[in-house]
Amino acid sequence: MSVQKSHRGAATLLMAPFFALFLGTLVVPIGYAAYLSLFTERSSGLGFGGTETLFTGLGNYLHALGDPAFRAGFGVIAGYVLGYIPVMVGGALVLALLLDSTLARAKRFFQLTLYLPHAVPGIIAAIIWLYLYTPGLSPVVAAMREGGLTWNFLSSDHALSSVINISLWEWVGYNVVIFYAALQAIPREVVEAASVDGAGELRTALSIKLPMIQAAVVMTVLFTVIGALQLFTEPMILNGANPAVNTTWTPNMYAYDAAFRRGDYGVAAAASILLALVAALLSFVVTRIGNRKGAA
Amino acid sequence: MTATMTKPPVTPVPVASRAPRRKPPWASKIAVNTALLLATAYTVLPLTWLLVASTKSLGDLSGNAFTVTEFHFFENLGDLASADGGVYVRWYLNSLLYAVGGAGLGAFCSVACGYAFDKFSFKGKEKLFGVVLLGVLVPTTALALPLYLLASELGVVNTFWAVFVPVLVNPFGVYLARIFSASYVPGEVLEAARVDGAGELTTFWSISLKMLMPGFVTIFLFQFTGIWNNFFLPLVMLSDRELYPLSLGLYSWHTVVSAEPEYYPLTITGALLAVVPVVIAFLSLQRHWKAGMTSGAVK
Amino acid sequence: MRHKIRTRLGAIGALAALGLVAACGGGGASGGATGSSGPTEITFWTWTKGSAEVVDAFNALHTDVTVKFEQIPSGAAGGYTKMTNAIKAGNAPDVLNIEYPVLPDYVSQGSLADLTPHVGELKSKFPDQIRALTELGGKTWAVPLDASPMVLYYRKDFFDANGITPPKTWDDYKAAAAKVKQADPKARIGTFFPDDPGHFASLAWQAGGKWFGTSGDSWNVSIDDPKSKEVADYWQGLVSDDLVRVQSAFSQEWNASVKAGETVAYVGASWGAGSALRANQPDQAGKWAVAPIPNWGTPASGMYGGSTFAVTKDSKKVEAAVKFISWMTTNEQAITTRIGIAKSTMYPAAADMVPVAAKSFDNSFFGGQDAYSVYKDAAGTIKNGWTWGPSMFATNSTLKDSFGTVTSGGTLTDALGKAQKSTVDELKKRGLNVS
Repeated sequence: MSVQKSHRGAATLLMAPFFALFLGTLVVPIGYAAYLSLFTERSSGLGFGGTETLFTGLGNYLHALGDPAFRAGFGVIAGYVLGYIPVMVGGALVLALLLDSTLARAKRFFQLTLYLPHAVPGIIAAIIWLYLYTPGLSPVVAAMREGGLTWNFLSSDHALSSVINISLWEWVGYNVVIFYAALQAIPREVVEAASVDGAGELRTALSIKLPMIQAAVVMTVLFTVIGALQLFTEPMILNGANPAVNTTWTPNMYAYDAAFRRGDYGVAAAASILLALVAALLSFVVTRIGNRKGAA
Repeated sequence: MTATMTKPPVTPVPVASRAPRRKPPWASKIAVNTALLLATAYTVLPLTWLLVASTKSLGDLSGNAFTVTEFHFFENLGDLASADGGVYVRWYLNSLLYAVGGAGLGAFCSVACGYAFDKFSFKGKEKLFGVVLLGVLVPTTALALPLYLLASELGVVNTFWAVFVPVLVNPFGVYLARIFSASYVPGEVLEAARVDGAGELTTFWSISLKMLMPGFVTIFLFQFTGIWNNFFLPLVMLSDRELYPLSLGLYSWHTVVSAEPEYYPLTITGALLAVVPVVIAFLSLQRHWKAGMTSGAVK
Repeated sequence: MRHKIRTRLGAIGALAALGLVAACGGGGASGGATGSSGPTEITFWTWTKGSAEVVDAFNALHTDVTVKFEQIPSGAAGGYTKMTNAIKAGNAPDVLNIEYPVLPDYVSQGSLADLTPHVGELKSKFPDQIRALTELGGKTWAVPLDASPMVLYYRKDFFDANGITPPKTWDDYKAAAAKVKQADPKARIGTFFPDDPGHFASLAWQAGGKWFGTSGDSWNVSIDDPKSKEVADYWQGLVSDDLVRVQSAFSQEWNASVKAGETVAYVGASWGAGSALRANQPDQAGKWAVAPIPNWGTPASGMYGGSTFAVTKDSKKVEAAVKFISWMTTNEQAITTRIGIAKSTMYPAAADMVPVAAKSFDNSFFGGQDAYSVYKDAAGTIKNGWTWGPSMFATNSTLKDSFGTVTSGGTLTDALGKAQKSTVDELKKRGLNVS
């Protein structure tokens, strides 16, 4: 059949609401931010006589990139990604493989309880963990002290690990469920063939199952990296409690700080655009690597 | 939460096909299940703490974690309902309105669009779909600030719409809907409807949408939790606390706790109640969750 | 069928609109038109302790002006971002709480109304030194609530039991710090607050540092002046020798360590007793005492925080707002309500109000000690000539960033150098003159 003309109207009508929203809440705001990022506010003298708006070209971008606090934010994200992704993906994979093994019991119960934290809003998860980190309030810290461990979750050295732990808690179960579903989708004959060949549970898991769920792993890494760039809620809560987590700790916090504390919309817009660009670039790279590996 | 589950059913392991040739040593069976139990402890204990903490008075809260000298849960509930002129109830209703309304409307737009992507062919379709997929990759929090700047230019900051409209758009929902449409709505059904002379929109509304219902529920659920958990957008958009959703309201209480300790038990109990609907939604609609999560991962 | 869609969507839309209407009914900064016969309603945001009670008292006494009060998080904890946000969005309240350090920020961003024509007589009630902090570029922008002199709070029971006397100088403080640690290895005499540069600034102020000044039409910036560096080195030493804790200001962690008796003294401002200590440590009533802050040779103090009230630029009710502010800051009943009923320990900026405050203060937390006489002496020794810069948010951001590394290799002196540089950059970026 040729593409029916009459269908075009129906297709347009069905797609219109979504694309109107897409345009209005995604494309236009980004465009507007890009426009705003080219201007800056100027005053003169002591600065108590009002401001005027000036075109500054890429001035705001240069300012943001030249600001050690903004660059440090990307350093924090890099550290976070390096610390978080191996633990999270590794942990979720191990748990999913354990669940998938013939040895595991009560599989539905485990899936459910592991997933449960994901149903907790991020801000609440962060508040819960902040209390669990605070000496004098926390049973965890108290128990650790009893056992002779004096780990201080709120000291500046442990800022990153404390944030990673919150993210891990929220996301590990989610990814276990994804990996487990991927494992279940592996044709049974393949696993069977391996065990006929005499491969043990462990070897089957590592050499047969793992390579077969690579696509799921790549997807997870991709979404986790994008998620990492958006890091905001958890550090926002730790901000008042951990001295190292300052108001410009992540790029997102930097943009928020620029807009709402320093009142500098130009820099805030530039920082947001830069962040979106880095996210796009990174997801491109990750999918590329993933595809190449998948093809090999 | 876990207490409500009576004896979890063991997934029937396909014994015939997967039975190992030798019985696995009981030692490794214990090891595997212990590891899983430990991981479960990690995920569940903080929630248990929240549950226990919500029954404590302010004095008990700063004492030993698992001792409760007085059962204070109902007093906490009462305080929660009356604090700051009952604003918590207001936040709860706001959250429900943002999340149910937003997810309902948003999921409908996504399903309609994904269905159109699946069932109709037109020039540049795949390119357009690529643009939608690109939208999935735009970090939502990086978008919140541009949205704020635009809303501020339009003078709609600090209104219901400033928070409600942006959460309607869900590119991932379109992606899911396309997949669901391909697997749930057989082409023959559409052909039959066409032969009967039904218009495309009639077909969508009266036939396809019903078949897509499980997919709609899945997308709805995802969007519902997304909106329920949304924090950054309301944070930048709203300054009138009568418009706050729960997440922002609890945050605002949390930030005054150090100066006004009375807000501590309120924050805890409020947090517990805020978690409940999502947990219930999850427990009762597990199948739909999995469908959404895994169709992204398993092609 | 199309009809059906429309009704369905219509229903959702109506539901949403209903929520909107309901939502608007509750809030809104712009009630009561000016010309009408009813009272003028003004809105007021603050976090200062006792404001709810003060507003109730005001509303009970006045028929021409009604105040709608909203508690917001303290400035550093998000209150300021909320305020900035609302000002930009055009729905700010009429009256705002702004602390001295960031008043110039708000003025230079054009957020506030010029109060000069409204405060003629009111101005004379405040000492020159405090008033000067609210006058920028020759205009008056805010009315002070409290002066906030620094003092030393300490656990008298602990000090007495271990034969430690409250330190008079900073050298004494260091010695006392060592004794505290010796008496109880888990206890420390105090805390360095890396997230609260305002606390450090007040210590630099006390030592004679001057971070900002103006000459003619341009700013002088000297955050890393010798006096401030001296203070930085001193606290660096205390941190390195593990004589003080490093914790976030007013954090749960700090509260918990005070509660556990592991932090036995606190260098803070007058308001700190009411907002931080007494509110969180009711079971330590009677165990605390106040002393002058340790000094560098001669008694001196600086101001830590301290609130002023300002009117937002878009407010249409400046007169009513000033009436309310004036009552709050200089009326006897307002002060007795705030201090006597709401248990604030702020030290009024208006000289007439100090005896009122002292009289209504319940001294049981300090075992009967007259804290206000200590505050009064401290207020008398506040060093003259301190000015806050026009970009304290940026300056504080940098200071916080680098103070945060104090336990992991960073030094406080470096932090001052970085703040100096970033502040000058920021001022230049805004087009201000810097000399």
